[in-house]
Amino acid sequence: MIILYSILILCVVALILGLSIGITAKYFLVEQDPQVEKILSLLPGANCGGCGFAGCSDFAKSLSEGKAEVEGCPVASAEVRKLIAQVLGKSVSDYIRKVAVVLCGGSNNFARKISEYNGIADCRSANIIAGGGKACRYGCLGFASCARVCPVNAIEICDGLAVVHSDICIGCGKCVKACPRNLIKLVPETITVHVFCSSKDKGVDKKKLCDVPCIGCRKCVKVAGEDEMLVDGFLVRTNYEKGPAADLPLRAGCPTNCLGNSFPYSYKKLSKGLIEEKVA
Amino acid sequence: MMNEILVITIGAILVNNFVLAKFLGICPFLGVSKKLETAIGMSGAVIFVMTLATFVTSLIFKMVLSENSYFSHLSGLKFGFLQTLVFILVIAGLVQIVEIIMQKKAPKLYSALGIYLPLITTNCAVLGSAVINAKEGRGIIFSTIFGFSSAVGFSLALLLFASIREKLELARIPKVFQGTSIALITAGILAMAFMGFSGLVK
Amino acid sequence: MNYSHDNHLYFYGGVHPDDSKKLSACEPIKDAPLLEKYTVIVGQNIGAPPKVIVKKGDIVKKGQKIAEASAFVSANLHSPTSGTVSAITEIIGVFGAIVPAIEITSDGKDEACESTKIEPSKASPEELLAKIADAGLVGMGGAAFPTVVKLSPPKAKKIDTLIINGAECEPYLTADYRLMLESPDKVLRGVAIFAKILGVNRIIIGVEANKPDAIENLRKSHLLNEYGIEVKSLRVRYPQGAEKQLIYALTGRKVPSGGLPMDVACVVQNIGTSFAAYEAVYEGKTLYERVTTITGSRVVKPGNWRLRIGTPISKAIELCGGIKGDVAKIVAGGPMMGLAQISLDTTIMKSSSGILLLGNEEIIQYRNQPCIRCGNCVDVCPMELLPGPLSVYIENERFDLAEKEFVMDCMECGSCAYVCPSKRPLVQHFKRAKAEIIAKRKSQQLSQKAK
Repeated sequence: MIILYSILILCVVALILGLSIGITAKYFLVEQDPQVEKILSLLPGANCGGCGFAGCSDFAKSLSEGKAEVEGCPVASAEVRKLIAQVLGKSVSDYIRKVAVVLCGGSNNFARKISEYNGIADCRSANIIAGGGKACRYGCLGFASCARVCPVNAIEICDGLAVVHSDICIGCGKCVKACPRNLIKLVPETITVHVFCSSKDKGVDKKKLCDVPCIGCRKCVKVAGEDEMLVDGFLVRTNYEKGPAADLPLRAGCPTNCLGNSFPYSYKKLSKGLIEEKVA
Repeated sequence: MMNEILVITIGAILVNNFVLAKFLGICPFLGVSKKLETAIGMSGAVIFVMTLATFVTSLIFKMVLSENSYFSHLSGLKFGFLQTLVFILVIAGLVQIVEIIMQKKAPKLYSALGIYLPLITTNCAVLGSAVINAKEGRGIIFSTIFGFSSAVGFSLALLLFASIREKLELARIPKVFQGTSIALITAGILAMAFMGFSGLVK
Repeated sequence: MNYSHDNHLYFYGGVHPDDSKKLSACEPIKDAPLLEKYTVIVGQNIGAPPKVIVKKGDIVKKGQKIAEASAFVSANLHSPTSGTVSAITEIIGVFGAIVPAIEITSDGKDEACESTKIEPSKASPEELLAKIADAGLVGMGGAAFPTVVKLSPPKAKKIDTLIINGAECEPYLTADYRLMLESPDKVLRGVAIFAKILGVNRIIIGVEANKPDAIENLRKSHLLNEYGIEVKSLRVRYPQGAEKQLIYALTGRKVPSGGLPMDVACVVQNIGTSFAAYEAVYEGKTLYERVTTITGSRVVKPGNWRLRIGTPISKAIELCGGIKGDVAKIVAGGPMMGLAQISLDTTIMKSSSGILLLGNEEIIQYRNQPCIRCGNCVDVCPMELLPGPLSVYIENERFDLAEKEFVMDCMECGSCAYVCPSKRPLVQHFKRAKAEIIAKRKSQQLSQKAK
């Protein structure tokens, strides 16, 4: 008897509750967009904010509403983009992933200091106070403002110089905004030859402030193919639309060693013709 | 009557605070207290669910499950053993309803609370409130008042803790203590502080 | 030392460092000898830098205009001597950044250019204002705000009080003090010029009570009655000479947060600026030199020198006998708000009130220690802010919270850093926060415009 009554009580309670939930669900229905769910599952999910939206779910919603472009996500690889474009029913252009690079070689070893800096260990703060004591007014200050904002910890400070690990970098662009001297650039990941100097001073003046500046001698420009290295006064830089071959630093004979490859690609391995080898 | 109500409310909010004295409902306490805004949202949800849940469960208790209930007299049998099952059913149902309503009416809060909203169900605070009412054999009105007060007590602890945690974010915490560790230590100190209220109400 | 004073309105906070003025207080103002070369920095005022109107090879006379005010908030620039413009170049400026400069090689004759004097009693306020604008006057207390802009408040703001800042609250500096001692009449006539331009009835000069002889000197002058000027002695407290604190002490009015003195019907000018106004109107002289205090425990012979703009700091220190012993910091300005220099090649500007050579025991070595919430900074902030919590927000890059706590009201006086037991570089934090907030507001404005 008691078992019957217990089952009865439980069934009644469950029925009442079920009805209430059912009625509520009907009146308070929220339309879930299956498209948004699909796009969200395809996105890399780094929540880095590189697209300019507040995280991947926000970007997915904006994509399905047509307020954003598939190209907006800097982290997604080419195949992922094609898949997302398929879901949306659009086409997407070919894309090469970008990574960050710090265009300065002035570590504490090579770059001179003009005065002793006593203050906050942050690049943006130090830059306000007479350039943080660094002699070269274009050089890297080494107080890790860029390393702190990197969502994947791809930037390492080696002896007062910021270096980006291109194999870890996802290309979100946060470090570019953090650097007060605009030293960090986003470049296609296939071009690994860079001039690690951004100083616009005269070549002769640059040598007084640092041991590894680009003095504008143009040796690399002559050795490289046409238009692969661009000249801008006393500063040479890589043409990132049409990059030189990855072994250019070996062939060019740069007198100050400011021409190099992105870390952690080393040109010792490159001399064997293996482009994608990394330093152990 | 007024005396009784005062004793119940002060007892539930301060003296026998659900989180800091009884240690019920720790999961949402630690999970939602990182930002003050989400904490306020969670408090509102808990107050609503707990009051409603204690009302409904005390009603069912009076009608069916208690030793002196109408159904017991009618059938001559005791149904006290069904207490846990029925209470959990009711609480789960109520939380589902609250979740559906919140998804429609306050979607931002819904996504901010995330998984912690359905956790009001399985967390012991609401069930604890219902069971304590059943054990003490309180009437429906006093049960509801007790449920409401204990939810207010939970909110008090949650809001205090959230405010402290927001300030902790800006402090330089030693590496060994960063994250959950310092939060738990703070909760412990807060609990010790609330111990000062013990003895006010039996 | 307790000085009696007749000011009973005390502003909140402030600190009382040892004023160290005795090093140079008794040194009369001396004129510096002519140099071979002057490198005049172009941007010497708040607002837009003037547009350079000379080129290499031009011959210029002393006081001739070499750069023209380029906007409403801008000031003219004049040559410190006669000679040739040898280069339009760049040098390290007072902030440590490379700035444009005009290099003038002297021809040794020091010939002045043509100028006109005005008799103020016969001139209209507009004529006086035009002469001051032409002379390139800026605030000589250190702010370098173009004087003509301060003297032309918008029509909606009525001005009834002119306040002259003779407080010179920064330790070590004695330039204004010596001006009040040696040329009180010229200073008072300059003040009267400002009063005529603004059309005010009430003129008050505030001088800190630790300069009793200067107050005596001013009060003895017959010009006080003639122009209706009051001289009040003020409580000795840094930063008594700050605009908002000075207005409160002398009139009891409080400038609202984010507001300006004209919001409470006041205009504040410096003693040095008043002296320059006298020279501009009565003698037709444009602004190309100023009195600078060169002092500190590490200079051989501290003194007050009348230096021309464009004088390298190295030459100025040579005038005083050179560096004595190990110098830890060379500061342009006062020790509280001045800027530490990284090169002695930078040159004197219109706002260079002092050059200090300080030793290790006179400076603070900042450390990166956490805020211990002692509240010392809250006790001394004259703007009634919370420097400690603000610096914690800024350390964690929460500029939104810092903006809510009124970091934009900070006047960077340095009182908080002076008393902080953790030796935190508080003013640097606030400089950073203000720069970030202004940049964010600018980008928000741009995106609003784009919409």
